[in-house]
Amino acid sequence: MAEFVGAFAASHAPLIARDWDKFAPESREIITTDFHELGRRIAAARPDVLIELSADHWTNFFLDNLPNICIGIGASHDGPPEPFMNNFPRSIAGDTAFAQHIAKVALDDEFEPSISHHLALDHGFCIPLMKMELPKLPRIVPIVVNNLEPPTPSIRRCFAWGKLLAKAIASYPENIRVAILASGGLSHSIGEPTMGAIDEAFDRDCIAAFKAGAEGPLTKLLDERMEAAGNGTHEVRNWVIAHAAAGSRGFDLIDYRAMPEVYVGCGWASWNA
Amino acid sequence: MATDYWFSKLCYDLQRPGAGAEYRADREKVLARYPLSPEVLAAIRADDVAALQPLVNAYLLRFYFGAAGMSDDTFMAKLHAMQKLPAAKEQAHG
Repeated sequence: MAEFVGAFAASHAPLIARDWDKFAPESREIITTDFHELGRRIAAARPDVLIELSADHWTNFFLDNLPNICIGIGASHDGPPEPFMNNFPRSIAGDTAFAQHIAKVALDDEFEPSISHHLALDHGFCIPLMKMELPKLPRIVPIVVNNLEPPTPSIRRCFAWGKLLAKAIASYPENIRVAILASGGLSHSIGEPTMGAIDEAFDRDCIAAFKAGAEGPLTKLLDERMEAAGNGTHEVRNWVIAHAAAGSRGFDLIDYRAMPEVYVGCGWASWNA
Repeated sequence: MATDYWFSKLCYDLQRPGAGAEYRADREKVLARYPLSPEVLAAIRADDVAALQPLVNAYLLRFYFGAAGMSDDTFMAKLHAMQKLPAAKEQAHG
């Protein structure tokens, strides 16, 4: 049977790649150290497959067809299309059988994800993969979560998705090790009148709620304050899915830094499976 | 304010390789491919961030002005100026 070996989270600001050479040395050091620690933890968990949750930044989907949840079932995925990510692999291995299993478990449980046989994984998926510098990239099962364009999934539904992923892993008959990586958040505002604002108080309260673990207070916090913390903050949904998959316990913050250079309140964390 | 589909489509299409360069070289040639309203066309021609911001997803707006050649600093200054406008509060996270 498949084994759930850990859940992880990291921010994914595109400027981490685009403007890397412009950052102060100390900022590069912080980002490098924190992504390397995240990578060390993931490597120690030895996953064969990494389920990765991210927004799609208008790479695969447009207003014509905009899924709230899309599971990438391709045997491979295209690398990031952004020119500043050109040094990342152009093709990333997937796991069709496991991804299809997740979709089937979801449909059997009255969830209705869309599926894609061919996704391009933009900076949202690939910044953490690039900066962790894992010795070997696990097979990636990407799950696109609509954090960008209303209507978006409720926080309550994200908890349900996390529990569903845990169930899908536990019921998969193959002997593989599976981890989850939530990409995105914490607070940031992009293309809005508040662009560049970081709500550090929200981020600290959010981290405290993840540490406390309980579903109710975390849901209340996000329902009440996520919207005002900036449009990019909606990516905290991905952290909620990882949190719920890990049983809403075991959150361990690696680091949090409000980083104006990248316009993001950056967090790195893991959960014990 | 309602999403403007065709302006959104323009923003989205400018992500294609080479599309930004084409747009910067001959904006009118590209704009002619889209059935944009006169009001939206005027806002585009004026690089009017405040007028366009409520019409499109904020991420697409950022991408659009990057493709159109506006620096991040200028784009953010124009966005921040919106906070002084009377309608800014209700537009802030739309």
